[in-house]
Amino acid sequence: MTVLDVGALSDTGRNGYIAEPEERILVTGGNGFIGSRVVRTLLSYGFKRVRCLTRPTSNSSALDAISKEFSRANVEIVKGNLLSRDHCMTAVEGVSIVYHLAAGIDKTFPGCFLNSVVTTRNLLDAVMKEQALKRFVNISSLAVYSNDKIRRGGLMDESCEVETNLVERYDPYAYGKVKQDELVLEYARTKGLPYVIVRPGVTFGPGKTKIPGRVGIDTFGVFLHLGLNNRMPLTYVDNCAEAIVLAGLRKGIEGEVFNIIDDDLPKSGEFLRRYKKQVHRFMSIPIPYPAFYLLNFLWEKYSKWSEGQLPPAFNRRMCATYFKGNTYSNQKAKVLLGWHPRVGITEGLERFFGHAREMMGHK
Amino acid sequence: MIKVGIIGCGKVADQHAIQIQRIPGAEIVGVCDTEPLMAQQMCERFKIGKYFTDVKEMLETVKLDVVHITTPPQSHFELGKTCLEAGCNVYIEKPFTLNTAEAEELIRFANQKELKLTAGHNAQFTHAMIRMRELIKKEYLGGKPVHMESIYCYNLGDKSYAKALLGDSEHWVRRLPGSLLQNVISHGISKIAEFLNCDKPLVIAHGFTSPFLKSIGQGDIIDEVRVMIQDDDETTAYFTFSSEIRPTIHQFRIYGRTNSLIVDDDHQILMKLVNNEYKSYARYFIPPFEYAKQYLDNWGANFGKFIMKDFHLPFDAGLKTLIQSFYHSVLNKAPLPLSYREILLTSRIMDDTFAQIKNQRFSKENGV
Repeated sequence: MTVLDVGALSDTGRNGYIAEPEERILVTGGNGFIGSRVVRTLLSYGFKRVRCLTRPTSNSSALDAISKEFSRANVEIVKGNLLSRDHCMTAVEGVSIVYHLAAGIDKTFPGCFLNSVVTTRNLLDAVMKEQALKRFVNISSLAVYSNDKIRRGGLMDESCEVETNLVERYDPYAYGKVKQDELVLEYARTKGLPYVIVRPGVTFGPGKTKIPGRVGIDTFGVFLHLGLNNRMPLTYVDNCAEAIVLAGLRKGIEGEVFNIIDDDLPKSGEFLRRYKKQVHRFMSIPIPYPAFYLLNFLWEKYSKWSEGQLPPAFNRRMCATYFKGNTYSNQKAKVLLGWHPRVGITEGLERFFGHAREMMGHK
Repeated sequence: MIKVGIIGCGKVADQHAIQIQRIPGAEIVGVCDTEPLMAQQMCERFKIGKYFTDVKEMLETVKLDVVHITTPPQSHFELGKTCLEAGCNVYIEKPFTLNTAEAEELIRFANQKELKLTAGHNAQFTHAMIRMRELIKKEYLGGKPVHMESIYCYNLGDKSYAKALLGDSEHWVRRLPGSLLQNVISHGISKIAEFLNCDKPLVIAHGFTSPFLKSIGQGDIIDEVRVMIQDDDETTAYFTFSSEIRPTIHQFRIYGRTNSLIVDDDHQILMKLVNNEYKSYARYFIPPFEYAKQYLDNWGANFGKFIMKDFHLPFDAGLKTLIQSFYHSVLNKAPLPLSYREILLTSRIMDDTFAQIKNQRFSKENGV
């Protein structure tokens, strides 16, 4: 984990922030992979009152450790469920900034919708009653974009279209995120919600061990390397957390959307090569994009013909989104947030691989 | 054309909607959920005419032939009654009701209104179960079964369901009279109930918490159950529910006086235990080939159906068959796919099981 030096931030100055260190900040999903780093970054920035909403049964040892490290700050852990309006009311009481990281991870559309959209609606309803609210930071995902109209290798940035055919793409997670974003926009339009949307790329770092899905899949019993020469839209978890924190603090960025991707993105092949070398070796079969696209086309047709005998999990939209290959920009985040990835990609990958190797050893 | 409505727009409703849309002549014309966002998302994804947040409003606004109730079981009875009152036939997801008294009342009311009900026992209609039933109809067992064994396992390690259950003490599953068991075991019990004659079989049940659940501090959930059942004319059965057995098997074994059968629902295999007597060492060398042929035949049957796009995943296939048979019964006044007797018997065995487990727990906790 990167230890932030508050002094290093003095060039930005407190005047650049919308909140004072004494103001209460809520982080939903504060115990999660990114959430715990967001909490830590906020404390490193000198914020003294951070409230974390975590699931009733989640293990809060990571937050407890952070809390001990920043003993002068008040890290308040609220156990609750965002599906409960009462819990939401309790969680938002007196907060001026909400970082909404809690996400619905589920394999089904209704499951993702319930845990992303209904929960967000409950939180928004609660937060709109809160006089102190200055900003709602909605954590979305890079997966919400469509690259349908972007050529291979073309730039994907904040100006790109959001996918509207997520049922066809058979992507419940992205569906939940798109609908969650739409809800935030609706509350902004109709109720004046002050918001910023953050769309992280593929977040990696110690705490995760799996190879990102954009590299390839092992569904068929052997690892199919599909990313090949594509640039991976990676963001190291500590870098991502700092971008999220800044999105909640910077003045003058209301209603903006930020994609969060690190610099010097590695190619998929490079990533896989290093993973095999540093974590563990396994066999992989490289599959060129046109061949995989054809397989997806056939699968999609068969799925339709057979009335879902094979679910349309493989389809052209999914294939294009994750394996067509695009380039990415983090210019907007750098310019408007004043964010720079502190952990370089090489260092980040070293830490990730090191952790993955350790975990493999434990197995 | 059969017009269908769905109450409750969660995960199970999705499975229903997918299968209903595969049935020729069936159309979902309305969905309802007290949470408007859930109703709306389902309406949009399945391109359904209207969505509602009030059941009565849906029943008054759109003329429905059949309503599917896919809400948590605590609401099944009231919603079922409301739909019957509105003149609709009703498919109620499992568990049918909270207890047998509610089930009896609902069935009585349906009969009174000359409408039909069915329960979501779709595991009864998997490919292999249908093949088993065809053989039994041809007297393969040689009469009423002597004994049955139904084993239904459940992997609590599965994130999607178990985490929601274990992580939330307020989850509706925990508030069922039979807790987790009530939401799961009807599939395994109904297989036995189908072949019992009497209305009130002898039930001896024992339940306990697995070491796994104890180790994660969930000692209040019973996830291991053994039940012995006996009906009036001496047919017996064992039911096993386990969250620890691996693989997570779902099997039904039915033993007759002539032959016996094994249904392996996990692999859609139906094995005949044929009463062939071979002399001397032949009994060790010939039957393995016969069993190998049977496995090969099962492969052929499954693959043949797959090629003919008639081999959807077992529970999906079972769901479609059950729904389609229910619609057929409604439209053509044909017999129901599940008899009311079977639904009630399943409910009674479950009630008895939960009551005994509750007593055992009470005795243990109070040192009685």
